[in-house]
Parts: sequence; structure tokens; C-alpha cells
Amino acid sequence: MAPYTGTRTPRVEDPRLLTGTGTYVDDVVRPGMLHACFVRSPVARARIAAIDVSEALRLDGVHAVFVAQDLNSGVHEQWYTLNGPEDPDTPRPPLAADEVRFVGDPVAMVVAVDRYRAEDAAELVVVDYDELPPVVDYATALESTESVHATHPGNLVGELAGRPMEELAPVFEDAPHVVGVTIRQQAYCPVPLETRGIVAEWSAPAGEMTVWAATQSPHEVRSFCARLLGVDEHRVRVVMRDTGGGFGQKVLPQREDMCVLLAAAKLPAALKWIEDRQEHLMAAGQARHEHGEARLALDDEGRILAATLDHVQDAGAYPTPSPVQSGLAVGLLFPGPYRIPQGTFRSRFVFSNTSGRVAYRGPWQFESMAREVLLDTAARRIGMDPVELRRRNMLRREDLPTANFNGMPYDHITPYETFEQALEMLDCPAFRREQEQARAQGRYLGLGTCTYVEPTAGATPFHGTEGATIRIEPSGKVNVYVAGGSCGNSLETTVVQLTADALGAAIEDVSTIQGDTALTPYGAGTGGSRSGPMTAGAIAETAAGLRDRILAIAGHRLEVAVEKLELTGSRASVTGDPEKSLTLAEIADIAYFQPHAMPPGVPAGLEASGRYRSPHLMIWANATHLCTCEVDIVTGGVKLLRYIVSEDCGPMINPSVVEGQIYGGTVQGIGGALYEHLAYDEDGNPLATTFMDYLLPTATEVPVIELGHIETPSPGPGGHKGVGEGGAIGSAPAIVNAVADALAPLGVEIGRLPLTPASIVELVEQAGVMTP
Amino acid sequence: MADDIDIRIRVNGLPRRATVPPRLTLADFLRVNCGLTGTHLGCEHGVCGACTVLLDREAVRACLVFAVQADGSDVTTVEGIASPDGELSVVQAAFREHHGLQCGFCTPGFVVSVTAFLAENPKPTDEEIRAALSGNLCRCTGYQGIVNAVRAAADREDSV
Amino acid sequence: MKPAAFEYHAPTSAEETVALLAELGDEGKTIAGGQSLVPMLALRLATFGHLVDLRRVHELRGIEQRDGTVRIGATTTQATLQRSEDIRDLVPLLARATPLIGHFQIRSRGTVGGSLAHADAAAEYPAVALTLDAELEALSVRGRRTIPAARFLTGTWTTALAEDELLTAVTFPVWRRPRGFAIEEFARRSGDFALAGAAVAVGLDAGGRVDRCAIGLFGLGPSACRAHTAEAGTMGREPAEDMADDIGRQALADLDSIPSDLHGSAGYRKRVGAAMVARAWRRAVREAVHG
Repeated sequence: MAPYTGTRTPRVEDPRLLTGTGTYVDDVVRPGMLHACFVRSPVARARIAAIDVSEALRLDGVHAVFVAQDLNSGVHEQWYTLNGPEDPDTPRPPLAADEVRFVGDPVAMVVAVDRYRAEDAAELVVVDYDELPPVVDYATALESTESVHATHPGNLVGELAGRPMEELAPVFEDAPHVVGVTIRQQAYCPVPLETRGIVAEWSAPAGEMTVWAATQSPHEVRSFCARLLGVDEHRVRVVMRDTGGGFGQKVLPQREDMCVLLAAAKLPAALKWIEDRQEHLMAAGQARHEHGEARLALDDEGRILAATLDHVQDAGAYPTPSPVQSGLAVGLLFPGPYRIPQGTFRSRFVFSNTSGRVAYRGPWQFESMAREVLLDTAARRIGMDPVELRRRNMLRREDLPTANFNGMPYDHITPYETFEQALEMLDCPAFRREQEQARAQGRYLGLGTCTYVEPTAGATPFHGTEGATIRIEPSGKVNVYVAGGSCGNSLETTVVQLTADALGAAIEDVSTIQGDTALTPYGAGTGGSRSGPMTAGAIAETAAGLRDRILAIAGHRLEVAVEKLELTGSRASVTGDPEKSLTLAEIADIAYFQPHAMPPGVPAGLEASGRYRSPHLMIWANATHLCTCEVDIVTGGVKLLRYIVSEDCGPMINPSVVEGQIYGGTVQGIGGALYEHLAYDEDGNPLATTFMDYLLPTATEVPVIELGHIETPSPGPGGHKGVGEGGAIGSAPAIVNAVADALAPLGVEIGRLPLTPASIVELVEQAGVMTP
Repeated sequence: MADDIDIRIRVNGLPRRATVPPRLTLADFLRVNCGLTGTHLGCEHGVCGACTVLLDREAVRACLVFAVQADGSDVTTVEGIASPDGELSVVQAAFREHHGLQCGFCTPGFVVSVTAFLAENPKPTDEEIRAALSGNLCRCTGYQGIVNAVRAAADREDSV
Repeated sequence: MKPAAFEYHAPTSAEETVALLAELGDEGKTIAGGQSLVPMLALRLATFGHLVDLRRVHELRGIEQRDGTVRIGATTTQATLQRSEDIRDLVPLLARATPLIGHFQIRSRGTVGGSLAHADAAAEYPAVALTLDAELEALSVRGRRTIPAARFLTGTWTTALAEDELLTAVTFPVWRRPRGFAIEEFARRSGDFALAGAAVAVGLDAGGRVDRCAIGLFGLGPSACRAHTAEAGTMGREPAEDMADDIGRQALADLDSIPSDLHGSAGYRKRVGAAMVARAWRRAVREAVHG
């Protein structure tokens, strides 16, 4: 029996977060703590001719000004556990040494008594720049004679491909219908509401570093710091209690973090760096900036014969990490949940003099954007309803298990069921009638969908195992320790629910400790939609042994067979004779203080550690996003009318948490489709460096989101699937398709994002409609 | 360097005296001088709303007020919203019940803003709720739980 | 993102304030609500040696009726205007413009005088003042003067206020009935500065013909401006909603310095501006005719 898993258990995080008593990195104060501020390049590309820090150093309250010569040579080793030491990586110097490579590139770091003084001093650092022609547009960078990094002439970071495109040529030549589209997606910024931040405190006598960080992965930060400084891993402690959103942006430490860690070892007190929002939008990284030419061959009945994707992605100047390995997923997943007998892809990753690429919630999202826009375009061009085209090609239950044309093995998914459920929730025929009536009145309504399959809880070397320690205290209270890294993922509540169920404990008796590398088991943190399945595995693995011990002790004391006992509500009682029972506290008392009363062979104490190793390469989740919208063709404004998500994440651990993840991801996609744009001008100047220009959706832009669930258990722990990223994958393509559907009568096709009002008006004008 | 200024501000009912540089924002005064770190800084240019506090009962961006400008005023931060024994306010309890928060970073600004909003407009329409919330950015919840929480808090306060 | 250092002054009278401004010259800057100024200071887009805070100058606050006009003290907050029944009855256009300014947490600090003196091209209040032919009062050690709104707005973030002058109040005429007012704007999100906006005020004579018409545009040039040709074209005519598109086109026809940025080109803003004029015209006329 599992009284808590599957219920809307109120979050254990909430009381502190609602009362302002959480602990984010900027809330950490250390004795004599100093504050850092970076001097950043104002130009996209230049040689650094000279840096004069003398005036800055003269300012009252300034402790130090570090430049590349002071810090960069301190780097011992620099690689991420996520990728391992063997993966080809991209350059990542702490401070810019000889050349600056994007606006915002850190050139010097000022250390002062407070951030106000540090900013005063930063203004006094004089840097002479010899400007060089920047490579701003990644799409033309491959042909540029200028190189972002001299080590990479032609600006190619790397290239990956499936089977040769030429092999598909005969299919396309013979197909009754061939449809091609080119989609250009803009750069997003992940924008957690809490910016990046780190506090590092070096204890020279002990040779120990303590770090407080805004991170999704405290153990990654610890390993990284140890390698960076050449300090033993157990001499580094990383602490994170509350982190204000991550979304992939905070999975890995970046260059500024390296600077703080390196400098802290040279300073007499802790050093804090809290990124401000302008720095964040300039230098914390970009995502989603890519384009692709997608092609589809269809037969006369609209059945897909083949599909190809030629994809190019912006890496920026300093990607974190190299985009090549994670970028592979775009091509591998491009076939999506459709029966596509053959196809292939090519992906190229290209440097530019802009902010470096970082991970962002569903980093491969472009596979869905390219495929789903292609499908809608194809349907319109061959005169078929996009819904009908999908029905003819989407994978159904009887097709499973199967593999897509790249060999990705699909099973335990329900794309067709989610698609039909979403359409039914909408009442699709009724909408089509309403749309027709509206068109007759000169109003433009549209319907768009996106159906995708998503690998969660991938078993890469770093992500493929997860540990838990459970300690039942002598009082019978339970503490469960996991690596943590929760940034709003509700991981504390999840772990408490799972543990209470696994041990038959009352939920109020269970607490969790996370995010401190000195206390918790080693673990990879949050990322890759792994926390649900992987912690469920870790807790099940660990609790199973403890549960046996509890029952053995209780059976011994109550003199009944273990099989006759049930464990619920922090009490072991004899089935059918509830009067005969022992509380968890009584059992713990025996385990710790009455070793003589223990059954033979059962170890004293009630503490156990375990580590789950996932046998699954990945656990598939899937969903359909559907939205309807109205487009004002005078202003170009888009109003979302209904928004529906039907998803299958297996049995839910906590429906509120699942829904929150879907809502949040979906709205990030709404932002991406319609509002957010990390734009640069042609000289490489960022144009959206404040929240006045980088537009996040607010409560007035976001519609009510309706959810439908299909539940198919995965083969993983508890049947759970990951659910953190999906919302952010499916939403932008659904919206793009809805807008395209609305404007279809005008002959508009969409190839460039985001869909700003101005860009929509431009499309309408280009389509030759008379303006009013 | 400019002269520091003596100020007296009542924060969550407690009188505070301090001598501060004029450029110190009210947000930094609360966080650093008072140790009330519940007031969060999400943008420092008045857009995100994470630093919202009540200044003489009106919701304001604490990043757009200098501490010296609050001299003689009453300030309530998120730490002053629950009752002293820790019982959540109606607004806070509604946020918890309706999953109106995830990472919690924007939450103090929402709690304070909604508290001020419902005090002025206890029976809002759904449209008024969304308009009132539009001055606070949340990146986690997609606003669904927040809108529901405000609706529930308004309905509940209404029935009292 | 922390402001540079400055000296702080908090005078208690208008007289004391203008004396300070005279003494400080271009080193001094008045701060009222600070909702536009503080972000600029935080981003270090602007720095001033001295800030002169108006918070203790109580005489600058308040709303009063005076012989067919409404006089509003410069540091009266936008929130106060939003709550004022007098403003709703007597200067409805101002009342309707107010909720469009930022968000309620901004309006609780932001002041009418601050918005006018900051003179952002896309802000609502300067356009409303211009549309309603408001008069602005300025005080300095050299004396007091009244500046018509049309002469007050001089360009991008610039006004007719001299360095040593303090904006003390703005006076709006009360239009007699029948009249109609409307303000329409298009912004990327609610609360954002408008990409284009229009305010329309229409008065009718006893025969129901237009005898007064004012069209103010914002977000469409270096500062808010009036569409005089389009206004003149409506005079003496029976107001009809179907004139709206023509009026919209005409109102935008002569503009030659429409801004262009990430959010929209000049051509785009022109199109949207014309639509906003048309929409505002329809609503204003409906109100003038039907009450």
C-alpha cells in the first residue's frame, strides 16, 4: 500500500519559502565576506591591448583586481563529470586573456567590501581594445574568413550525421509529394528568476574549500572545484539549500564560477559573486538558437515515406559544455512518434561571437519544432487537415515496441492516445466550425498541435546511478539523504513521499536532507528529467533492506512471523490483531539501545545506504500539446484561447508537482514562441539586456492550461517517467502551428521565430493582403 | 563619497535605526542591514517584482526606493506576513494549497503583492487578478497555481 | 546593478527645493517616485552628484477643483489618481490612462509630475496632458510660470523645464458634455511601454457636430505629439465611427521620426498607431454620442 505516492501531498519546502526564510546563495553571509564584480567586454571581438587597474585599486574598499594572468594559470584540470575527461571540449578560460569574444566576456574581476564599491571600481578599470571583425551570425559563420577561436578555423565546433543524405535521394525523387521547410529559431535565455551566484571560502590552514552555490548539481560543483584547484575532492564541500530556478542553466559551473573559486584561494575571507540581471542576459548563456532544413516525402495518401533534417546550431563563443554530444539528440529524435520508414540528419555546431550555449529544458527541442512545423506545412501543401495527416502516420500501441529510423528504441509510450485525448478535450470539430465562421467575419483563429516522445532519466555514466541514505533516528523519526539539487523541482517533497511509503512511515515522521556534499550520498543532481525515476529507484533500493530489518525486529519482539506483520503509519502491527504492534520509535529503540533484544543476524541501528543503477538506457515519456489562438492581423498580436496538454509520465508521484512542471515548461515555450528573444545587432551588441527588452510572459499573457493524463507505466522504478522538461519541448511548436493555421487563408508560411507582432504583420504584408 | 544619512524605519513592527549611504536601496537595507533576506533581488530595475514590500501599506518595488526615502515609514516584508507563531496568512496558505510556488524565489514578491492587492480589492474578477499579478514574474509555475491561489484566497477572505 | 554614489537632500518646501536646484545646477536632479529614475541610476545610464527628494514637500501633493479645471500637485501618485472619483468624473481620459502605466506596484510610487517631467515618448501622461491642453506650473528662484503642454514637451526625454525649475502642478481643463474620451495602446505585454498609442478627446455642439477634437499620439516620435491635421478634418462634422480608419491614417501621415527597435520597425508602429487612433476614435465617439 502506498498512501502518499500519487497524492497531492502539500510541499515540505513551502513553509520556509512562503515566509521568506529559505536560504538562497545571496542569503549566505560569511565573516568578512568580500564581493566580486566583473569587468566585461563592451565589444563583440577585440584583442586586449592593455588593462590598467591602478585607479580601481586606489579606490577605498577595493581589495584586489584580478586579470587573466592572475587567475588562468591556476587552473589544474577543467572538465565536467557530466561529459567525462575524454570528450572533446571547447575552450573555457576563466578570464579573457588575449582576445574578448562576445559582449559580456569577463576581462577582470574586482573584489571589494561590497557590491556597490566593486561596481564603482569596475568602472575605473581601463581596458584598451583593438577591435576585430566579429562573427555574429552563426548561420554564415561557416563561410567566414574570421575565426571566433583560432583553434577552429571555419568556426565549426563539430558535426554529426546519420546515414548519408544521398542515400535518400531516390525516395524523394520518386515520391508523389515532397515538402521542404526551413525553420529559424531565435536565441532564448533560460532566465531562472534567481541569477547565477556563488560564495567560496578557502581555509588555508586546513586546505579546505567551502562553496555555497546556486546549482542543480552540488556534487558536480564539488568535483569541478577539486579538479580546478588541484585539491582533493573530500577537501571541498558544496552547499546549496534553495536555488531559485535552474532549467538546465545551473547544471554546470561556468567561467565566472571558475574565477571566484580561483580567487577565493588567494583571499583572506569568503568571496561572493551574485550575478546581476544585466550580466545574466549578456553572459549566462543562450539556448535554442538554431535552424534546420527539414524535408518530407509522402505518398498519395499522405503516408510518410522518408524525412531528413539538415540542422545548424549556434554554440556562441564559450558553450557550456561543448554542444556536440547533447546536440546529437536533435537529429536522433527528429522522427518523433511517427512511422517514418527511413530518413537521416546532419547537425553542425558553430561558434559565434555571442553568449555561449548552455543547457536549457529540453535542449533538443528543435527536433519537435522542425518536425511538427514540417508536418503542418506538408498537410496544407497537399490539401489535408494537419490532424488527419498525423492520424495516418502517428505510432499506435500496436506498433510498439519499435525503433525510429535512427535506431532509438521506443516502448511504453502513447503518442496517439495523447493526441486523440487533446483533440477530444478541445472538441476539434466544434473548433473547426468556429474557425470557419470567424474567417467569414475577417477574424483569424488557428489550431496547432505538437506530439513528441522524450527520453528521460538517461543512463549516462554520471546520470545512470543515484544514491540514498535513510537513517531512522532512535526516536523513530526518519531522515532521508539524497544528493539534491532541487531548484523548484519539489524534490524534498517527492523524496519524503517515496520514503514514507517505502518504510510504512507516517509522512510527518519523515524529513530530508539534500544539497550538502558533506552529508549526502554522491549524485548527479537535477537535470535530464531524471529526479523522479532515479530517486524513486534509490529510495526503493535503500528502504527495502531497512524495511526487512524493521519487520525482523518487530516480529522477534512480538513473536510473530514477519509475514504476519504490516507496516503502516510508523507502526508494525500484526495483521488482524492491530492491538499487537510496535511503533517505529519502539523498534528504533531496540535497534540502537537493546542489542540483546535483536533477532540473530540483524545488525544494530537503523541506517542504510543504497545505490540504484538504472538498467534502462532511457525512460520514454510523451505528450501532445494543443493550442488555439486568435491573431489580430492589424497589430500582429496573438491571443492564446485554449491550451491543452495531454501527457503520459506514468504513475504520478505527486500530481500537483507533475502539473506544476508541465505548466511551467509550457509557459517557457509560450515565451519562446511569442516573446523571448536574446537578440544581437549586426555588430554583436546584445539588444535585450534588461527585463524591459527580454520579455518573459506574465499572468496576463498566459491562458488557463488544461491537462489530460494517460498513464502507462515505464519499466523503471515505480513505473514513473521524468516530467521536468517536456512542457518546454511541446509548447512552442504547437503555438507556431496555431498561428500558421490562423494565417493559412492569407497564404502565410512561418519560417522565422519568434512570432512577434511586428514579424506577424510583416508576414501578412508579404503575403500581399491589403492593409486596412 | 557622499555623506551617510541617519534613518529610522519600522520594519515588520520593529523600529530600526541606521546610518546608511544615500544610494543604498531599500531592498539592500532590508537584506543586508536588517538581515531580512526574504526580499529577493531578481532584476534590480523594477520589472520582476521579487523585491516587493509594503511601504506604508502600499506595495512597492524595494529595488526602486532608496532606504533614505523610507525614513520615517512603516515597512512590511514577507517575513512580516505570517502570524508570529508561524501560522501562514490566508494568502500564503492558499499559495501552498494550490501549488502557487516552486523554486520560491519570486514567491515573497507575489505574497506581498497579493496581500496588498486583496486588501484594496477584496472581491476581484479573474481578469483583475491576472492584471494585478502581471507586475510579478514567475519562471516556474506558469502562473496557473498562482492565479488559482489568489482566487481561492479572495473567495475565502470574502466569506469571512 | 547598483547606483553610483550621490548626495541626498530632502527639503521640506518648494521654496527650499528651488533654492537647492539653483545652487546645484546640472549636478542636481529631483526625485519624486523614482520609478523611471532609479532604474537608470541602477544601470548607471545616468549619474547625478545630488538627488533632491520631494517626499517632504507636502504642498506638491493633492487634487483640487478650481474654476472649471482640476489642479493636481506634481508629486500626487498615480495610485492616488486611480482611486480619485473626481479624476474619474472630471478628467476621465487621465483616469483611463492611469491603469495602463506599468503595474500597480509602480503606480503606488510613480507620480504625475515625475511622468510628465521624465517625458518618455511612449508614456501615457504626457500624451494625455497634450491631448487635453493641460497647463504645467513651474517654479524657480526666478519665479513661477505656466507652460502649456504643447510647449512643455520638447523632444526625447526633454522638456521646457530649466535646470533650476521644479514642476509643481499640472492643471487639466474640464470638458463640458457631450464629450467622449478614449485611450488605446498596443504593447508587447500588459504594463509594457506602448509600441504605439493614441488618446482621443471629442466634444460635440448642441447639434451633435464635432466642435472640439484632440488626438494625441505616443510611442510614435521623440515625444508625444498631436495630430492637428486629422483633428481639423473632423471639425463641424457629424461624428461617425466609420470615419475612424481615415482619421487613423491621416493622424499618422505626417509623422517622420517614428522610432524603430527590436520590438518593431517605424513602418510597423505607423500601422499600429493608425489602428490605435481608429480604435480610440470609435470609442470616444460612442461615448460622446451615447454618453
